[in-house]
Amino acid sequence: MRVASYLTPMVNTHQSKPEQAQEPRQGWPPIHEANPSALDAVPAPDEEGVVKTGTTVVGLTTADGVVLAADRRASLGGRLVTNKRTQKVEQLHPTAAAGLSGAVGHIQQFVRLLQAEARLYENRRSEELTMTALSTLAGNVLRSAPLQVTPLLGGVDEDGGHVFSLDGGGGVLSDTYAAGGSGMQIAYGVLEQQYDDALSAKEGRAVAAQAIDSASERDTASGNGLTVATITSEGVAFDEFDGVSEVA
Amino acid sequence: MQNSDQQAYDRGTTIFSPDGRLYQVEYAREAVKQGSPVVGVRGEDSVVLASHVPRRSPLVNPGSVEKLFAVDDHVAIGSAGHAADTRRLVDLARRRAQDEHVRYGEAATVEALTTSVADHLQEYTQTGGARPYGTALLVGGYDDGPQLFEIDPSGATREWRADAVGRGASDAITHFEDEYAAPLAAGDALGLALQGLDAAVEDLSVDDVEVGVVTADGYEPVAEDRLDAAFDADGE
Repeated sequence: MRVASYLTPMVNTHQSKPEQAQEPRQGWPPIHEANPSALDAVPAPDEEGVVKTGTTVVGLTTADGVVLAADRRASLGGRLVTNKRTQKVEQLHPTAAAGLSGAVGHIQQFVRLLQAEARLYENRRSEELTMTALSTLAGNVLRSAPLQVTPLLGGVDEDGGHVFSLDGGGGVLSDTYAAGGSGMQIAYGVLEQQYDDALSAKEGRAVAAQAIDSASERDTASGNGLTVATITSEGVAFDEFDGVSEVA
Repeated sequence: MQNSDQQAYDRGTTIFSPDGRLYQVEYAREAVKQGSPVVGVRGEDSVVLASHVPRRSPLVNPGSVEKLFAVDDHVAIGSAGHAADTRRLVDLARRRAQDEHVRYGEAATVEALTTSVADHLQEYTQTGGARPYGTALLVGGYDDGPQLFEIDPSGATREWRADAVGRGASDAITHFEDEYAAPLAAGDALGLALQGLDAAVEDLSVDDVEVGVVTADGYEPVAEDRLDAAFDADGE
């Protein structure tokens, strides 16, 4: 079985011109496209043995920025809880984060790639990726690799707060609020009733937590408390809660 | 300029002369000596990179000439020599740094990153049809402590307490050899770096200097007011 690698091959011999075989001379490919042939070699995963998040994630824009929230359960097929403290909201750059559902290994690789691309962008250009650039990049990563990840992206740039929902095929849709994961239908029930585009950050956190809590009650693949990320132009603040009543 | 014996051996990078020299690599070092200088000083908890950024004409936009480059949160590079060659190497270093994050989930150590870039330079001393890079790099960074490495056009690396490359580098190094005394606090390392640059450059002006410091908190360009203060303190 070949192992998927997104990395630039480092092997070179003096017989071929340096870097020429692997990399074009003009323009460097993004990290995730550096070795596209490796992406074809990803075997179909053994569904039984893959730990998935199941998960309920929600993202919503508030007056000050964005709130992302997720439950903390990882499971095998939604039947066996394999981890009760799973981090499903990950910071991607100083003012952006992702709420993630899907196969845990795919999620972790997706996050590593986007964090690396975001740092590379910042070092090259001395500014952060805008949210449209970040979401397009994330869509390209999902489109070019068979990753079982359906992220929500949330973040703040010069134009304010943004939420994007993405799918495994690379689709990128902008919205003011969105839900994802196996509990998304239940979460949407709460969001449709309670979301308002004039919510303060505090109210937004309460609505997001309520949506996660409702899904955790009825979706067997969601539960074990929640992570809430509050994103403003100042940065991303993470809070962990065992139950919705603790969310302030 | 040269005799015919030498001409036979300086056409390609891959051909040794009978006395064991690679003339093209030596010429690349000459190209470095013509570049505006950059110095580096390793303090006890910081490493300072300072560069002379000469203004060829008052029409050149001052912000458009870069001599120091952030590579990763904890690493920066300064260089002397061909600016376009440097740009290529800096981008290589930036990509290798992020490759390390993806591969291991950890930042590359300064030494590992230096070696990785130096391996790339070395390939260009052994490859037919290519020329060596006409640039030398000072790699300043912080892992468990401050680090300062030099990469020369041959791909050789050395670790230094204080170093300089480019025009007047030997004067700067002579100054460092006389004045370097560990431990150097962050402000002292900055002062010594500016003195070294002053030794290398005639009539150094604060307006023509770019300085950056790497500490445990990461790489930061030194702001103008702090630079002015450091210049005044040294009476320059």
